[in-house]
Amino acid sequence: MNAIEFKYITKRFGDLTANYNVSFAVRKNSVHCLIGENGAGKSTLMKILFGIYKPDSGIIKINNVEKSFDSPLDAIKSNIGMLHQHFMLIEDFTILENVILGSEVTIKYKIDFEWSEKTLNNFNDKYNLGLNLEQKISEISISEQQKVEILKLLYRNSEILIFDEPTAVLSPVEVKEFYKIIEKFKDEGKTIILITHKLHEVKEIADRVTVLRRGEVVYETEKENLDINILSRKIVGDVILKNDISKETVMINQEDSVIKLSNITLRKNGHDILNKLNLSLHNGEIYGVCGVEGNGQSELVDLIFGLEKKFSGYLEKNTNKISLVPDDRLKKGMIKEFTIGENLILKDKNKLNITKKYLTGLTDEVINNFDVRVPENSVIMKLLSGGNQQKVIFAREIELNNDVLIFSHPTRGVDINATAFIHSKIIEQRNAGKAVLLISSDLDELLSLSDKFGVIYKGTLVKEFSSELENIQNETMKNKLLEKIGKLMIGISVE
Amino acid sequence: MEFLLNKKLKANIVSISISVVLTFLITIILLLILGKNPVVVLGTMFGEVFGSGYGLGQTLFKATPLIICGCGLAICFHASIFNIGAEGQLNAGSFVISLVAFYFSGLPFILLFPLCLLSGFIVSGVFGLIPAIIKIKKGVSEVISTIMLNFIILALVNYLLIDFFAVKSTVRTEKISESFMIPKFSEYFQMFQGSSLNLTFVFALLLALFTYYLIYKTSFGYKLRAVGFNETASKYMGIKNNKIILLAFFIGSGITSFVGINFIMGYKGYYELGFSNNLGFTAIAVALLAKNNPIGVIFSALLFGILDYGGLAVNNIVPKEIMFVIQGIVILSILSVDKLVEKYYG
Amino acid sequence: MNIIVSILSLTFFAQVLRLFTPYFLGANAANFSERAGVINIAIEGFMITSALGYALFTYLTNNIFLGFVCAILVNLLFSLLYALFVIKLKINQIVAGVGFNLLMAGLAKFLIVFIFQSSSNTPRIPDLPNIPYIQDIPYVGEVLSDYIILFSFALIFISNFVLFKTKFGLRLRSAGENPEAGESLGIKIRLYKLYGVLICGFLSALGGIWLASNQNSFSDGMVAGRGYIALAAMIIGKWKPVNIFFACIMFAFFEALEITFQISGTFIPSQIIQMLPYLITILVLIGFIGKTKPPASDGIPY
Repeated sequence: MNAIEFKYITKRFGDLTANYNVSFAVRKNSVHCLIGENGAGKSTLMKILFGIYKPDSGIIKINNVEKSFDSPLDAIKSNIGMLHQHFMLIEDFTILENVILGSEVTIKYKIDFEWSEKTLNNFNDKYNLGLNLEQKISEISISEQQKVEILKLLYRNSEILIFDEPTAVLSPVEVKEFYKIIEKFKDEGKTIILITHKLHEVKEIADRVTVLRRGEVVYETEKENLDINILSRKIVGDVILKNDISKETVMINQEDSVIKLSNITLRKNGHDILNKLNLSLHNGEIYGVCGVEGNGQSELVDLIFGLEKKFSGYLEKNTNKISLVPDDRLKKGMIKEFTIGENLILKDKNKLNITKKYLTGLTDEVINNFDVRVPENSVIMKLLSGGNQQKVIFAREIELNNDVLIFSHPTRGVDINATAFIHSKIIEQRNAGKAVLLISSDLDELLSLSDKFGVIYKGTLVKEFSSELENIQNETMKNKLLEKIGKLMIGISVE
Repeated sequence: MEFLLNKKLKANIVSISISVVLTFLITIILLLILGKNPVVVLGTMFGEVFGSGYGLGQTLFKATPLIICGCGLAICFHASIFNIGAEGQLNAGSFVISLVAFYFSGLPFILLFPLCLLSGFIVSGVFGLIPAIIKIKKGVSEVISTIMLNFIILALVNYLLIDFFAVKSTVRTEKISESFMIPKFSEYFQMFQGSSLNLTFVFALLLALFTYYLIYKTSFGYKLRAVGFNETASKYMGIKNNKIILLAFFIGSGITSFVGINFIMGYKGYYELGFSNNLGFTAIAVALLAKNNPIGVIFSALLFGILDYGGLAVNNIVPKEIMFVIQGIVILSILSVDKLVEKYYG
Repeated sequence: MNIIVSILSLTFFAQVLRLFTPYFLGANAANFSERAGVINIAIEGFMITSALGYALFTYLTNNIFLGFVCAILVNLLFSLLYALFVIKLKINQIVAGVGFNLLMAGLAKFLIVFIFQSSSNTPRIPDLPNIPYIQDIPYVGEVLSDYIILFSFALIFISNFVLFKTKFGLRLRSAGENPEAGESLGIKIRLYKLYGVLICGFLSALGGIWLASNQNSFSDGMVAGRGYIALAAMIIGKWKPVNIFFACIMFAFFEALEITFQISGTFIPSQIIQMLPYLITILVLIGFIGKTKPPASDGIPY
């Protein structure tokens, strides 16, 4: 019998379609893995299941009964528990307080701490969690925090357990511990949904696997038929390379690097977010970096750009003129309340009399050269489409004529036309002899544009490709490369 | 004046208009509840304010320090810096101005006046730097630090005044020489006879223009506002946030010291304990109502000046203290109307 | 020598208790609100309204009890208004606080003049009743028989118990620490923020009522910045009732000392003593006296 059935679930956020007609079933007392790239729609789907979002259309059945959840409380009442990717824990509270919050047991007005402690310690022992209930969350390690989240689920008698990227932050030993706990859950008759992108773990634990890509179900398989290579390809999809961008061979002395990182280590919150990283950027070269989000990309960018100063290792810069198109344009890339012109002058030299005429002039230049679609010259950035916003940011950075250009996820949330335009501009800069660093999770983009290409995993560039990129038109070579990349991104080493 | 007539400006004008109207309505209702005839009260008020040269003069006189202080605060508020410490800052600067004006009386006015401005500006500015540095180095919110500093500065000024500089048995400094007093309007225009309105008013207007220019026409102003809107993006666009915060605090606080010019050099000739009468807080309301636009501050200050003097004028009918109530209503009304207009305009 | 004798006297002790009470009530008021994640810098204003409310309604109804109740109601109404602004409309809490302070102070100034035609105070009103017999004890009888003073002492235990041992307190604190986490466990966060604001209104009302009762009238400026000292005490006390208690005792002690000095003359200027609470607060904030960590989600509209 099916513990959960998804039927034609669709969910949109504005222009973005997070889930489209998602349908599949989760068997009772099984471990069901839900896999896919970042942005594939896995988390959204689970948040719908847990009552955080409501689907635009489609239904969910729990134990063959159609259910509609208005809030997590409803899901909890149906014995569904979710372990979020970003822990929902209160730093200043003890483990005990965090677990019982919202479902406290009391004697008259006082919380029954004695009973609570006893009950929790029972679970603690049974599942070998090894937690000290008196400790505050701020005092315990990440894997212990996760165990607290697990304890929360046990305390509420969850029968259906959703785990969102549970082993993302665990060491190999902790991962083994975690899967032992999962086994125990299964023995107890619970149903488990595991969101992950770690294929080797999937191989070990899954009973059934569903693959999501761009919000849709693209593949399903049972334990017996599991093939990591197939899964890997299904996750990244078929990559269509663009042939219309010409990369001239740039005759530039490439021995000298413009920026060189040697053995860079950056420590934050107790662990090395960049770990002995080596990277060289050269003139007239596009260096692409790909990896699962959270493996150090943002910190790498911040470091090269100059915002991150407390690191060990060597950073050699032949120039300080670095442009950056950041990954999150709303948060980092622009002042949305300002007009285009006003955003442009922020990087201009200091002026004492900024007239409307001057701003209009700047804006016109950008609008014309970068094909930005605007209702009027003095429109504020907030009202532009994502693609046009990105073009403005692009323009601003390119017009500075700096030696080094960093593009971080430059076409995220951008429509096809703007994307093509931005790509051509990136190539243009490379041809003009600039050093370009391109960070992206879009493999199409990276493989089409990059001269050199590195995979980042847990703060290190684990492998660099350059010659392989030359044969990319060949279908077989391309697939081989993609498989390699897929594995590297999740930590499996390749030859 | 060049306005970029975008949605934001339209929304602002709507907010301000609705707030003013709302305040009006609430005031009328309040008057009715108190058993007073709103027509008589408001009529008398406006009659007194606009009906005589003296009334007009007094209104403008009371608006002057609000314009000055409001402009200083506007600079801070644009950078999202909640400077609640204007009361302390302006008193520190004004106190020093009164001392400089008295002890450097050997200098000609043409040198003394700038010297007073400079010394007041620096003293107030430095007191403004304290919360700025605490914020930057320790991440402490300027709200609490400026509130605390108000008390500290006022106690300090009180101590220095009473124990060292006060004229015996008074709570004021020595009176400065007549030749350093700023000319009153009544010296040029008969109609303002008897009013303390002086050329500081013109100075205030010029200051407002200067501040407007600084905020909306210079690179500094744009960076100031960028930091106020989005600190993170500013950082990524290469703006030195810390420098901007320090400057905003320094300049904004420094400007508030000029309030002293109006009272000391334009009216009484000395610094007196309590002269500011919570001006530093009223100025917050003035700046808020004007949406931190210095030109708007002029009109907002005028409105508060009308309430201030008008209150005195109708004191027989309804106690002048009602103006404090109305001030409070103005703030709450602009805050709530603003939020609702924001939701409506999206 | 004289000073030491004065300090060790029972009169001094009684004085400290009298000064301590409004501080502690105000600080706890602010603490409950901030523990729920709502900053309230208008404690001063809330004390003003309740002090005036008590004086006014006791005078009008000639009934202490009614006066007491009305003062509480006045503050609760203002609390609801404040909650509307900062919880429902999510208006910036600092700015709203400034606005409320101005409105409340202005309202008080206005009402005394309007109703009593006096520029500074209301007519005399009777005290709140004391516990009989105890009040007859020499020197300390008056303070030890005062219900509100006794309540403030009990408040250390009550606050601690409610915040850290009850279901209500746990949920209230979750609203101030991590509302998303609380919400994910089914807690109605906004409701708990409202509770925090209401408790704040209630406790600050007790402070204001006590001040008016102690002075037997309301006069303009009688709260004299105690609301801000209460905020300072809360910060120095790191949002924990026991520490807040000691911070308030410390401030009361210094103030009593200052009064004693003024009577017997001293070398430390009174203004310096006056600024002490504020100076200490800043030093604590800068971290000279340990780190301050307010509730993690304090002041963030949710």
